[in-house]
Amino acid sequence: MKALKLAFLGASLLGTITGFSQTADEVANKHIEAIGGKENWKKVKSVIMEGSMAFQGIDIAVTTTAVHNTGSRQDLTIMGQQNYIIMTPTAGWMFMPVQGQQNVEPMTEEMVKKGADELDTQGALVDYKEKGHTIEYLGKEDVEGTECHKLKLSLKGGKVTTYFIDPASYLLIKSTAKQDVNGQELEMTTGYSNYQKLPEGISVPMTISVPLGPGMNADMVLTKVTINKEVSNDLFQPAK
Amino acid sequence: MKKISILVFGCVSSLVSFSQSGVNSSTFGMLEARWLGPGTMSGRITSIEGVNKDGKTIYIGTAGGGIWKTTNAGASFKPIFDRYCQSIGAMAIDQSKPSVLYAGTGESNMRNSVSIGNGLYKSTDAGDNWTKIGLDSTEHISKIVIDPTNSNTVFVAAPGPLWNDSEHRGLYKSTDGGKTWEKALYISDKAGCADVSLDPSNPNIVYATTWEFRRLPYLFNSGGKGSGIYKSIDGGKTWKELTNGLPPKPFGRTALALAPSAPENLIAIVEAKDTKMYISKDGGENWKEQSATLNVVSRPFYFSTLVIDPKDPKRVYRPAFSFSYSDDGGYSFAEASNEGGWVHSDHHALWINPNNTNQLYLGTDGGVYISLDRGVTWIFVSNLPVGQFYHVAVDNKEPYNIYGGLQDNGSWYAPSAKPNGVNNGDWTALYGGDGFWTVPDLTDPNLVYAEYQGGNMSRVDLRTLKSVSIKPQAGAADGKLRWNWNTPIHVGLKNPRNLYTGAQYLFKSTDKGTNWTRISPDLTTNDRKKQEQENSGGLSADNTSAENHTTIFTITESPLDENMIWVGTDDGNLQYTTDAGKNWTNVSANIAAAGIPAQTWVSSVEPSRFDKQVVYASFDNHMYGDHKTYLAKSADMGKTWTLFKSDEFTGFAHKIKEDLVNKDLLFAGTEMGMFASVTGGREWFRMKNRIPEYALVRDIAIHPKTHDLLLGTHGRGIIVVDDIRPMRDLAGEIANKAVHIFAQDPQPIRDGQFGNGGFPPTGGWSAGNPAGIPPIQYYLKDRIMTGDVKLEIYDEKGQLVQSVPGSKRKGVNKVYWNQRMTPNKSVAGGTKMDRGGMVAPQVLPGTYTLKLKVGKEEYTQPLVMVHDESNTTYSKEDRLAQHASSMELFGMQKELNALIEEVNGEQKLLKENGDKIKNEKVKKLLKTYNNSLEELRGGLLATKQTSIFADEEQLRERLTELYITISTNEARPSNLQLERIKVLQGEIATAKAKHLAINRQYAEKVKQAMAKEGIKPPVLTDPTGK
Repeated sequence: MKALKLAFLGASLLGTITGFSQTADEVANKHIEAIGGKENWKKVKSVIMEGSMAFQGIDIAVTTTAVHNTGSRQDLTIMGQQNYIIMTPTAGWMFMPVQGQQNVEPMTEEMVKKGADELDTQGALVDYKEKGHTIEYLGKEDVEGTECHKLKLSLKGGKVTTYFIDPASYLLIKSTAKQDVNGQELEMTTGYSNYQKLPEGISVPMTISVPLGPGMNADMVLTKVTINKEVSNDLFQPAK
Repeated sequence: MKKISILVFGCVSSLVSFSQSGVNSSTFGMLEARWLGPGTMSGRITSIEGVNKDGKTIYIGTAGGGIWKTTNAGASFKPIFDRYCQSIGAMAIDQSKPSVLYAGTGESNMRNSVSIGNGLYKSTDAGDNWTKIGLDSTEHISKIVIDPTNSNTVFVAAPGPLWNDSEHRGLYKSTDGGKTWEKALYISDKAGCADVSLDPSNPNIVYATTWEFRRLPYLFNSGGKGSGIYKSIDGGKTWKELTNGLPPKPFGRTALALAPSAPENLIAIVEAKDTKMYISKDGGENWKEQSATLNVVSRPFYFSTLVIDPKDPKRVYRPAFSFSYSDDGGYSFAEASNEGGWVHSDHHALWINPNNTNQLYLGTDGGVYISLDRGVTWIFVSNLPVGQFYHVAVDNKEPYNIYGGLQDNGSWYAPSAKPNGVNNGDWTALYGGDGFWTVPDLTDPNLVYAEYQGGNMSRVDLRTLKSVSIKPQAGAADGKLRWNWNTPIHVGLKNPRNLYTGAQYLFKSTDKGTNWTRISPDLTTNDRKKQEQENSGGLSADNTSAENHTTIFTITESPLDENMIWVGTDDGNLQYTTDAGKNWTNVSANIAAAGIPAQTWVSSVEPSRFDKQVVYASFDNHMYGDHKTYLAKSADMGKTWTLFKSDEFTGFAHKIKEDLVNKDLLFAGTEMGMFASVTGGREWFRMKNRIPEYALVRDIAIHPKTHDLLLGTHGRGIIVVDDIRPMRDLAGEIANKAVHIFAQDPQPIRDGQFGNGGFPPTGGWSAGNPAGIPPIQYYLKDRIMTGDVKLEIYDEKGQLVQSVPGSKRKGVNKVYWNQRMTPNKSVAGGTKMDRGGMVAPQVLPGTYTLKLKVGKEEYTQPLVMVHDESNTTYSKEDRLAQHASSMELFGMQKELNALIEEVNGEQKLLKENGDKIKNEKVKKLLKTYNNSLEELRGGLLATKQTSIFADEEQLRERLTELYITISTNEARPSNLQLERIKVLQGEIATAKAKHLAINRQYAEKVKQAMAKEGIKPPVLTDPTGK
């Protein structure tokens, strides 16, 4: 299960940086403004995020590379082993020796269909209507002491994510995503913090936390985020 | 100017901080509750609804634990109603759009201890989000039905308030999906609607039963002229009372069911002078009396469930005291088999999967059961932690035990911590009946005092569970003893050899309940009109001690003086003695002067442990229809009282508790929430942090050694907040600091408190354990939105030991450091995961420095690490030997990793440059060189393994095995382990020598050959080995 969570971390990480209708549209617009504005986000063609997850002194290096609507790849180095997850609009692959996988395995059609929505590096909330997504304002809810705006985003592909947005800064504090995977309802909660403004004018959370149990988080700390660097399409093909 | 204004502002804010602490639930951040459950005996279930089309999404409504949802037919559940009222009366799913749900709060099994609701809720996303949509004052909702042909039409049956007259009762109807409501059927302010059914073939046909009932603190009445059975054929606009063939009125409560597959067939169990079952075959126009078993007609006010199979009109189910079913339309009934185990008595809910009518879900006073054979046998669902504790107590063992008694589930105890965690099987039932006070004898670890309803108490030996009845008997001049349903048993707080209990008199024993001395006169009002319980029940006599009144309800010996005893009664008296019972002072008039109505139950009394003049008390007046939260303090031995006030308060009060250390820290439990004050009661806030916001908190305990806060909840089992010391600290000025690291006790160095049995628990409720290694705790006044937070641990030499990512939430944060160094970084190239890269040697005892980095600021605090003296098989010397070997192996691991990296690097260079070479001979030379390196590498770490079931072991794996063994053992390394270190050192040396030899043989040759090819030679390892 943890490994599965790990695999989904990639998606939520991309979801953040890309991530994103008092009305739903108002909250969404203020949030987009808070993270750098629609115009800046619409210029994002590619994103490379480098960072690591630290747990009991062990570092797991994680690099996520995404090209807008073209592909995303997450490389994880775990105890000396290379693992990756690749997603493109038409296919996806997973190679996770950490889970005992010995070969590169293609993603199922269902996973690809759901994953396609996540290849949006410009944020699902930016021009969400044109993209076929819907949003709904659910009022406020306390998140660790902050009465957050609660915004439900239903992606075209079916994934439903609830965003908890800080009413002061309009930055995202937490998201919960629900997905039906192989007949199981999987819920993924992700925390976001340490927002930094990039030279491109957009702000991204440099720490992303996934709860492992009461009072325990796996934190992914980003050390470098590169925007619009040329990325070879080869990267979105599995190694032979 | 700026400086001055800042200064002024500073002064003002410090003044403000005096009057407004600003402390609330968020201040306690990660100080989150754990749910101990258990699921062993579970608790009362009031409603079960399933999604017809999938048969595996099921919602369980409980008497005091909210709503639990499963999407896998019961393999796992999660609570989905934790921010709202926890007492559920009825639920309904819109089967045409199953994401739409209604939940009516306020159970309507009208027993003495039934809770109270605050309205009707609706979710449109399968329970993720809820909106309150009205009927706020109905207090009890018994049934919700949705028109199967028009989802906007919804009927809600509301019996209404139990303890007072009210217009907020009857049958409510909405035609706009719950936005607006009108009363479709209203009888009187005394009679509400108990049941409603729609004819699925013609939903304009509506059947409803009405019920007149009332409870007083000392009497129950079911029945009156307002009770009846009604039928409407125009969707509830007009009604006709059904009488033909039914018994003479008055009626009490009627349970009515129609057969969905043949809806003109109706069955009714009509409470009357002679309660019977009645059958109609013509839509209720005519009824025929049918004699039935005792189970079918028993206790109609409590057993109101009657269900007919969705497909088979002859199959009738009557879940009641036990489970009865009929195969002939109700003419005869059989009882469920006990094959497969006992099914808990007292049934209140049944869901039949309409697509597989063999599959039944039953809700009882002891949880949910599933049947796959139409109710003949049952499987218990053991993962619903919804037990209804009345009280909680702890002992002083290590780990300590937790004790408590529950509604219809006896008395139990369990360890607070245990290897493999505290699971269902760790709870031991120690006494039967309804359980209440379950109090350990703090002077004898084998003894506990427990009881069942009406003061039937025993001394139980925990070694054998043999019990000896110790209930005091009436003396010649005593008259009949009056015992509360929930009779207090109290072990002295100052002198634990004193044991107390109370009827109308206070009794004291100093020999563990063997002999008693009456030490008071009648401490109650002794109001005779409140003592006629033999007349209780109304149409059906019901005298179970539940209505016993004018009794003692709470007893507390002062923690400062064993001669000072405070006693509260259920009829409004609060009395104390300062001479161990010779003289008594009644302060009830003083309480009334503070605004608490006369005859209000004194639900708890808490003499202060800091000042003999100070006493706290909680009061419960809901039995007179008053739900206010009454909590009060007196600082002059009860002469004058101050009522605590807060906008946060909801629910009538059960318990007030003073902290054991900080006199300004107070806790209060009510029917709708857990509250705390860090300002001695001046301000209060609702505790959240994984405590359901409207939890029914009946009792509160604080452990004196572990500082755990334990809540006995009436619907969510036992809830514990581990180690509340940060709350004590935050009651002072610390809450105003931007950042604060809490002082840490010296930490014993160990890999947790317990080992691990290997397998995770399967099934049941698993509460885990408190943290095995204490967390490092710090406080952040505000959430950190920009900037990072990390905690670094430094040793005495100033060397960084480990860096741990810090959480950034507002309030208390917890970081878990595993008391180890930073592991060596794993090197790449193997086909096996480097498990050795996950482990680092444990640190040695000493003084370490915690450096908390919050953005650009740094905060430091010492942390003393000590040898674990509790481990008697592991001495300090053993630890030093273990550490030395671990460090040796840690160094060897580093050495081997460096060698592997060198080889990897060389091979990489050969590969990168090799492609440029044209000369076949040189190519061959490179290939031979690379093959030699590969051969060497293949001996250094696993490079060929293809499956975990075909293990490959090379030097890294051999080293890892020993390294992990020694560095995770809390033991002195053995002779062979020490010898093995030498063997592996030899192997590393050999491998290094081999590497050197290979490079000597090839490196220079390769360099020269490549130079000849015009390729800039790679920087290979110096053949001299330097």
